[in-house]
Amino acid sequence: MSVSNLLENWSEFRHTHPVDDKGYPDWEAYPSDIKWAMAIDLDACTGCNACSVACYAENNLPVVGKEKYSHGQAMHWMRIERYWDENDSGFQADQGARFLPMMCQQCEAAPCETVCPVGATNHTEDGLNSQIYNRCIGSRYCSANCPYKVRYFNWYNYPEQENAWPAPLNQQLNPDLTVRTKGVMEKCTFCKQRTYTARNNAKTEGRPVQDSDVQTACQEACPTGAITFGNLHNPESQVAKQWQSQQVDLIKDVQEKDEKEGNRLRGYRILEELRPYPSVMYLERVRESAV
Amino acid sequence: MKCFLRSLTLLVGLFFYASSHAADALPTLTTPDDVGPVIEQPIEFPHFRHAGDAKDGGMQINCMYCHTYARRSMVAGIPPIQKCIGCHQSIESVRDKPRIQKLFEYWDAKKAIPWKKVHDLPDFVRFNHERHIQRFYFQQDRPYQEVCGYCHGNVKAMTVAQRQKPITMGWCASCHQKDHLVSANSSKTGHGPNDCFTCHK
Repeated sequence: MSVSNLLENWSEFRHTHPVDDKGYPDWEAYPSDIKWAMAIDLDACTGCNACSVACYAENNLPVVGKEKYSHGQAMHWMRIERYWDENDSGFQADQGARFLPMMCQQCEAAPCETVCPVGATNHTEDGLNSQIYNRCIGSRYCSANCPYKVRYFNWYNYPEQENAWPAPLNQQLNPDLTVRTKGVMEKCTFCKQRTYTARNNAKTEGRPVQDSDVQTACQEACPTGAITFGNLHNPESQVAKQWQSQQVDLIKDVQEKDEKEGNRLRGYRILEELRPYPSVMYLERVRESAV
Repeated sequence: MKCFLRSLTLLVGLFFYASSHAADALPTLTTPDDVGPVIEQPIEFPHFRHAGDAKDGGMQINCMYCHTYARRSMVAGIPPIQKCIGCHQSIESVRDKPRIQKLFEYWDAKKAIPWKKVHDLPDFVRFNHERHIQRFYFQQDRPYQEVCGYCHGNVKAMTVAQRQKPITMGWCASCHQKDHLVSANSSKTGHGPNDCFTCHK
């Protein structure tokens, strides 16, 4: 794709955004047999951070250290957010902290995509927000526009100047994706290298992608099996069944759980009212003592 | 007038300054005729003898006899020395040729031959041999020499391989953007993925 081609076809390039004038993702205008999605059961999550560690190992993430972290330069594609329930007498010790694994929500109408001045982040046919590191110029608009704050900027040249992987640790870097350099934005890709391999193998064998073909690193590491990942367009997949049983619909911005009072549904998506149509469904935590 | 002349001189000067810098810039990534550099290999492997046509004295061995992973993996693979010896231990007629003697030196020393990479893509690019071979060789039943030659050029006429195609993004996209017939006996067309994320990792 040359620059002239990009400029000529700019409008078409932008129209691959699946939300058209209807105001919600229009699948007919955007046909694909794969839509990667996730479901995270907060009732099962113990906040152990294994997913986060697995992500560091899988995706060549540098450990930035305490000082850079305090400057807001953390590099965790998958982070565990910790919430304390507070009442008048301080936090409720019996409930403890609530945990929420937060990573890129791979929105269908992603706020980050529309603001990139160079088209380094755009929508893929399998429903991901791609991040093309060698196209990125580091304007950080996408991060500013991300409601979930899940985009991370390389403030330093971690592999060389910061010596993030001193020998022989550099031997453990994953060759299936780039080691990012200074000045580019990065974020969770739903383990693109794994989904790519799964699709490739399925295509060679002439069959659709199944659940058993692919697991993300965080899903694989989760000791309680809180994370489910798969193809939402395949009704047989675990993730599609979970979304369906919770009556969570990708193209709605208010889910059944919040629409009707007194139901037993737990499925919701974060910041749905902003209408980014995220691809990650969370299952609300259930506790008897919950208010 | 003086002001005009001054600005004109400045502009002309700037132009020459800029153009002289453009000329000293880094060497271009591809040679003008898109042919890669000559790479010296530890053994001057004669591709034309192994893969060449029979009329040119070649053995017409399928590329994937040695580069065996091309059909089932991202990378085509360089054959291990066992593969060479597997045939050559029973070909007495060429045993005294200097290249074969060198081959057996490596074999006796139990050392791998340090072949050098000719078609080297940057680390941020994902190229999948399997997908291209599956599509063109197995589904469309095109001759393997043609299929491999789309990217590797006329290797069957080469001694050690040399890059004949530019292997740049624009060159890849020039094919991926075109509509091709999906199979030899179908009128359906399709094209390769044009998604940045498919090739850039």
